[in-house]
Amino acid sequence: MSEFLDMGGYAAYVWPSYGLTLVVVVLNIVWARRLLARSREEARRRLAMRVGGDT
Amino acid sequence: MASWTWFHRLGSPPYIYSLAARLTPWFAWPAAALILGGLYGGLVLAPPDYQQGDGFRIIYVHAPSAWMSLMVYMTMAISAGVGLIWRMKVAHAVAASCAPIGASFTFCALVTGSLWGQPMWGTFWEWDPRLTSELILLFLYLGYMGLRSAMEDVQRADRSSAVLAVVGIVNVPIIHYSVTWWKSLHQAPSVMKLARPAMPPSMLIPLLMMLLGFTLFFVAVLLVRLRGEVLSRERSASWIREAVSP
Repeated sequence: MSEFLDMGGYAAYVWPSYGLTLVVVVLNIVWARRLLARSREEARRRLAMRVGGDT
Repeated sequence: MASWTWFHRLGSPPYIYSLAARLTPWFAWPAAALILGGLYGGLVLAPPDYQQGDGFRIIYVHAPSAWMSLMVYMTMAISAGVGLIWRMKVAHAVAASCAPIGASFTFCALVTGSLWGQPMWGTFWEWDPRLTSELILLFLYLGYMGLRSAMEDVQRADRSSAVLAVVGIVNVPIIHYSVTWWKSLHQAPSVMKLARPAMPPSMLIPLLMMLLGFTLFFVAVLLVRLRGEVLSRERSASWIREAVSP
């Protein structure tokens, strides 16, 4: 296991690369879901305003 | 006439919104499976490189990120062009959805490349054609996003940023061919030589899995973002009521 983690002496370069990529992948998921949630929230508000104005 | 109906349906926001929602899991789960399989193959099963030892394993995250940076840009620029020519809102929404994804993976490609360059070339950064043109790509993405966020009106933002995206296409072949046109520190492509691959299958297959996995991941993220972009462009349609009802 420690041999695997050592990456033949390249651990200091290999693991940060994989770590950063993981962060970028996770951030893309979080950002996309947040954008959709925010757009839905905003659309709901627009609808509520219109309904309020009609009645 | 009939052959054009698909095009009109693709331009219809309610259709796109529900289609995107239904398609997302079909891209997300295969992406997850391919990436997990590729990680295991790349980190555990593939043998160390005869020159670079285990350091070469950075390729399994670097090459997919670099591929994403270009593929996402092409998707963005082509959609932006379609939006400009046919005044298609949905195409602009696709382009706008691409930018943050592309920018993040371009950044990832630059940093993982730098982490690979240090032990192999002895430097984190060199003003080399490949590296410089990839950095310009990051600035194109950031410029595109900055231009959009500077404009209050979505339609104006769509049109102006689309022009920038289309003009920026000239950088894509420069990046791709930089390693063959100029003497570059960067190694020549190792995947695209299908006739005589530069890698044994045990190294190549995990890489192909990662490339395909990242591509499917891009589509899944794009579909989620696209729903948000389509919804925020819609001002009057009654289908919004349906879309946002919990």
